[in-house]
Amino acid sequence: MPPDAALPRTLLSWMVRGEWRAHPVRTFVAVLAIAVGVALGFAVHLVNRSALAEFDTAVRSVTGAADLRVEAVSVSGFDETLYPRLARLPALSAVSPVVEVTAQTRDGRSLTVLGLDPLRAARVTPALAVGAGSGFGAGRETGREDAVWLSPAVMGGAGEVLEVREGGRRVDLPVAGGLPSVEAGQRLAVGDIAAVQQAFGRIGRLNRLDLLVAAGVSRSEAERAIAAILPADARLSTPEAESRRGGDLSRAYRVNLGMLAMVALLTGGFLVFSAQSLSIARRRPAFALLQVLGLPRRGLFLQVLAEGAVLGVIGAVLGLAGGAALAGAVLSLLGGDLGGGFFSGSRPALDISPGWTLIHGTLGLAVALAGSLLPALDAARTPPAQALKSAGESGDPGRRPPLAPALGLGAAGLAAAFAPPIAGLPLMGYASIALILAAGVAAMPWLARRMISPLTRIAAPVPVRLAAARLAGAPDQAAVALCGLVASASLMAAMGLMVASFRGSVDDWLGAILPADVYMRVANAEMAGLDPTLQAALAAVPRVDGIESRRTLTLSLSAERPPVALLAISPAAGGAPDLPWRAPPRAVDEGEVPAWISEPLSRLYRLSPGDTLDLPLAGRTVKVRVAGVWRDYGRQFGAVALRRSDYLRITGDAGANEAGFTLAAGADPTDVLQRIRQALPPDLAAQTEVAPSAEIRRVALRIFDRSFAVTYALEAVAILVGVAGVAATVSAQTLARRREFGMLRHVGAGRGQILAMLALEGALLGAVGAVAGLALGAAMGQVLIQVVNPQSFNWTMDTRWPLGLLGGLALALTLASSLTALLAGRSALSADAVRAVREDW
Amino acid sequence: MDRLTRRSLLAGGAAAALPPAQAIAAPDFAQVIPGRRLVFPRDHGAHPDFRTEWWYVTGWLDGPTGPLGFQVTFFRTRTGLGEGNPSRFAPRQVLFAHAALSDPRVGRLLHGQRIARQGFGLAEASERDMDIVLDDWRLVRERSGAMRALAGGEGFQLDLVLTPTQPILLQGEGGFSRKGPRPEQSSWYYTLPHLQVSGRLEREGRWRPVRGQAWLDREWSSTLLDPVAVGWDWTGINLDDGGALTAFRVRDARGRAVWTGGSLRSADGRLWTAPNGAVAFEGGRTWRSPRTGAVYPVAPTVRLRTPAGERRWALTPLFDDQELDSRPSGGPVYWEGAVRVPGGRGYLELTGYAAPLRL
Amino acid sequence: MISPPPLRIRGLAKSVPGGRILFEGLDLDLAAGEIAAVMGESGAGKSTLLNLIAGLDTADAGEIEIVGRALSGLDEAGRTRLRREHLGFVFQAFHILPHLTLAQNTALPLVLAGISSGEALSRAAEMLAAVGLGGRESDLPSRLSGGELQRTAIARALVHRPGLILADEPTGNLDPETAERSLGLLLQAARTRGAAVLLVTHSARAAEAADRTLFLGRHGLEARRAA
Repeated sequence: MPPDAALPRTLLSWMVRGEWRAHPVRTFVAVLAIAVGVALGFAVHLVNRSALAEFDTAVRSVTGAADLRVEAVSVSGFDETLYPRLARLPALSAVSPVVEVTAQTRDGRSLTVLGLDPLRAARVTPALAVGAGSGFGAGRETGREDAVWLSPAVMGGAGEVLEVREGGRRVDLPVAGGLPSVEAGQRLAVGDIAAVQQAFGRIGRLNRLDLLVAAGVSRSEAERAIAAILPADARLSTPEAESRRGGDLSRAYRVNLGMLAMVALLTGGFLVFSAQSLSIARRRPAFALLQVLGLPRRGLFLQVLAEGAVLGVIGAVLGLAGGAALAGAVLSLLGGDLGGGFFSGSRPALDISPGWTLIHGTLGLAVALAGSLLPALDAARTPPAQALKSAGESGDPGRRPPLAPALGLGAAGLAAAFAPPIAGLPLMGYASIALILAAGVAAMPWLARRMISPLTRIAAPVPVRLAAARLAGAPDQAAVALCGLVASASLMAAMGLMVASFRGSVDDWLGAILPADVYMRVANAEMAGLDPTLQAALAAVPRVDGIESRRTLTLSLSAERPPVALLAISPAAGGAPDLPWRAPPRAVDEGEVPAWISEPLSRLYRLSPGDTLDLPLAGRTVKVRVAGVWRDYGRQFGAVALRRSDYLRITGDAGANEAGFTLAAGADPTDVLQRIRQALPPDLAAQTEVAPSAEIRRVALRIFDRSFAVTYALEAVAILVGVAGVAATVSAQTLARRREFGMLRHVGAGRGQILAMLALEGALLGAVGAVAGLALGAAMGQVLIQVVNPQSFNWTMDTRWPLGLLGGLALALTLASSLTALLAGRSALSADAVRAVREDW
Repeated sequence: MDRLTRRSLLAGGAAAALPPAQAIAAPDFAQVIPGRRLVFPRDHGAHPDFRTEWWYVTGWLDGPTGPLGFQVTFFRTRTGLGEGNPSRFAPRQVLFAHAALSDPRVGRLLHGQRIARQGFGLAEASERDMDIVLDDWRLVRERSGAMRALAGGEGFQLDLVLTPTQPILLQGEGGFSRKGPRPEQSSWYYTLPHLQVSGRLEREGRWRPVRGQAWLDREWSSTLLDPVAVGWDWTGINLDDGGALTAFRVRDARGRAVWTGGSLRSADGRLWTAPNGAVAFEGGRTWRSPRTGAVYPVAPTVRLRTPAGERRWALTPLFDDQELDSRPSGGPVYWEGAVRVPGGRGYLELTGYAAPLRL
Repeated sequence: MISPPPLRIRGLAKSVPGGRILFEGLDLDLAAGEIAAVMGESGAGKSTLLNLIAGLDTADAGEIEIVGRALSGLDEAGRTRLRREHLGFVFQAFHILPHLTLAQNTALPLVLAGISSGEALSRAAEMLAAVGLGGRESDLPSRLSGGELQRTAIARALVHRPGLILADEPTGNLDPETAERSLGLLLQAARTRGAAVLLVTHSARAAEAADRTLFLGRHGLEARRAA
């Protein structure tokens, strides 16, 4: 090695190993902070990636690889005569008609049944025709032409019969064979189009046409030709729109989790910063010695940075491993949407790419380096002669910490909160949160002094005044100790505030949308279901006072967006229905059809009361007038409610698939529930859920809590790391002050007094951190509630203050900080303090 | 499932595409029973009650660069499926078609195919007259009696008008043609030889007018081959003197004739129908396919024992490699090509040489 | 060949930030192997003088040459390198890094000079043996007495064969007996290796061991007979 090498490798290795041998716990906390951040970020990324790959696969499995598709706007499909009309367009070289039915297997899981003409599919979507590739072999293999091929995820081998239910009817599908080329996890059955039309009552209807554009014809030309003859109940969809829509399904949810993981990593960065700052302050004489002995400034800087890098590398590697394990566990336990309920039934495989692994690892390393940068500069800047004499503390008690940087950051954060979403994502909202956090941390020295100074002036016992004086005198050090704590406390408070507000609002909403006593729902019955006779029979069930049956179905309003829900409901006495209103319902003109839209629909399609909305119903476009906006947390992509009478008049569909029952006073819901079940034909009953509204509400809240369990877990980890960071910091600072304690004891302070002083100092530190953290958290929580949520999910919520949680959090932090200071103080004051105590806890 | 030949289809070559009807609950196929008189134009049209039917056009074109062979063939199959299904997609009838061009300069067959279940006006076969639509392919008899054929394949499109110059030739006994030792192993079979061809041919994007001479075979049946049969040789030749020669032989595994048939009609319209045993396909040069290893007698001598004495025609292929391998799509490997005889031109079909046709 | 003297100072002046002049016109020459003790009142600037010689502080005027090289002609990197190669330090507070073994502590100047860890450690072990700490190479400083710590510091100061050793109150933290032994060891080891020593001390007893004793005052260093 040339004599001028800035940093001898031997020295680095000795210093790092010596430090770690001496302070394993402190080092471990710093590594853990990075590891946790990386693990969370990587896990969320992996889950996203695997789930999105899964979703793509699902879309591809079901759609094959058509250039273009024409889709029905609702499950009832469109008239099959569209098929020959499109097939004759010269712009298209092939058209493959598809009937698509979502049915339910006996285990209650849903199954997509595709009816294809294999001869047509072979040209347009060969992937789908593979199973049926031997043409109409169904008959040959099973002796029955209505046989289907099943994807591996659906149980059932050739020769067996698969029993499925749809729309209140039971269909037995003989199994002809497997669809081995369909990806694992996809629940798909493919049969002949005619057989599926007949078996599921879809004669004359199609749900989809897969199209191949003729050679030499541009796609836009083809699109124009198709659009010219498309009826109102069909819609042209491109693969891009398809995947966009698929991405939309859970994008906001995913981005939120991803951001949460990033915040965790950021917290880790703060912890590394505080750990490194303290470690450097403590080792200032050692560094000064090295400088005196001939280590150049740059070498010292590199030494500190390299220590951070080693922390970062170890943390990143641990984090990547932990992240992969976490993602694997999450995928197998909760599925691809982390329990969000977007893709039921699929269990995607972990999909790890080297590139992204490297990116996340590098991110962890970068955060560790960034956390070490300031301390490294600080160490290199200190004159060695001075540092060699004093034992570290370099602050001037008289200096006033500046507030301007914090104010600047805070102002930027506030401005970011008012920015619109970027690409449909609340990126600026998150930027706002990050800026507010940074502002809070930057304000800590000022704040610590402001909050503690008054204590030095009041008449208080000696320990209080000593503690206050010390903290007020070294605000930078206090701030360093606090920044990890403040970061994690504010994060926790913000999420706690958001979740509490969300949960409270959901609870209210559930109360508002479930006014009846008992509800029933027929699964997979957007067509058929409860016919009028059956509805009458249900109304006649003894002890039932009233029944409100409704039709709910999904309707595609735009090829670019996931379909919305249409609810045909019966409002009380012809007026507006009873819904949790955001904008109060208003009357519409005579002859107009009123529609009450949900908040997400209102935001997604930019509609307000008074606007008109085109609904594709019964093969034509029906203009309805928006008469009100209601809050809805159940259908993220929007819902529109119509009067059932209007719906019946437009579509002629008198059926229903949901009903709410009002019971006679004193009726036993369990008993009535039983009677309702008995009133249903057995095949219909098998796909019908009946439950008291109280139970639905309970289950809904349980699902809510479960889907936020991941969030809570992330939070808890962040808080634990934060507390561990504070503990490490406090104990390090305490131990560094042994001389001070010795002096205090010499001048007559009792051991108890010193311990009390330390405990108070810790408590003060914790309290300042908690108060600052909560205040910051409240601001960040408001950004989550007012900006991030509406921009992500298109719904709003009312703020609820989880006072118990926040108070408990403040108390816990104060106690934890006080306790660690006390413990560290006890060892610092123990008899053999000078040598025997290792400078760690 | 392209590349279906009439005989292989009947022998079960299409089974990959279509389930054998017997596997499905008892479809009621019409039987070929002698004694009925064929009525035109009705019998130019489809007979959907029968299991299988074809419209088989083969011929020679005089292109600017020399002679070309072509075939345009439409098949109809009643699947026995979906008989009770009210869906318009019910796959009761499936139409498929096949076109090939034999160009000695290419040295192999250029081909194309279409297939669809009947319905929606996209795939239809009229029961009143010859009028078959299969996506953009067509075979229709116009009011004048001339037929228009539209088809194509890799690098070529055919748009041909086929004008009859001779009356319909009823094969067998007034169209009742036996194909095996059992009486039900038979079909309705008539031929329109000496069709004058005009129209145009597209090669690599350029249309050129063409002329030529063609041959139409029409056949429908529900049961054809005897169980011991493994393959089939067939030829139809337009003789330069206006005569028309038809000869076929159903072979067993050892290459012996299970059944033979054919006819010879002279230019003046006198028709002689060959009884079983009066037709022989003999030896001649063979060609081994480099792709499948199958050995085809591509230059047989066809011998007819007529009452007026034995007649022989030595067949010479336009070129050797007129083999089609349709196994990837579930069909058979066979040879179907343009052939010459001294004083005539026509087509030869050789099936069951690569592997026995499945029964 | 005549090698340049380990230390040569001419006209050195330094004042504290408040403006008070510590000393001015200070001259000093140290020959190879010569040991000089500097005494003076608290605040006279003894440690400042050592910092100036070490290149850790800058003088108001004057010139310092170490082994013939003028500090004023060197940038910070050059001064760092000069320290690394030609100076050894012994401090009152020992400044032994607590998390490194004795051998590692001793070897620090060597590894800073880029010498491989194996060679540095073996040279450090030899040096430790020379100061009476043979076999203790792997011990951590927490198990050492004050005298042992200072002997480790002496080993570290000499291990890279510097021409000049700056010792700042090396005996200040030791009991008299240990102090005497340590100082004897330092001076003997320096003499053996031909290193000059500039010893700053309060202790007249320690100063006696030097070849000459100088008193630091406002006008520089004055020679004085040891009492």
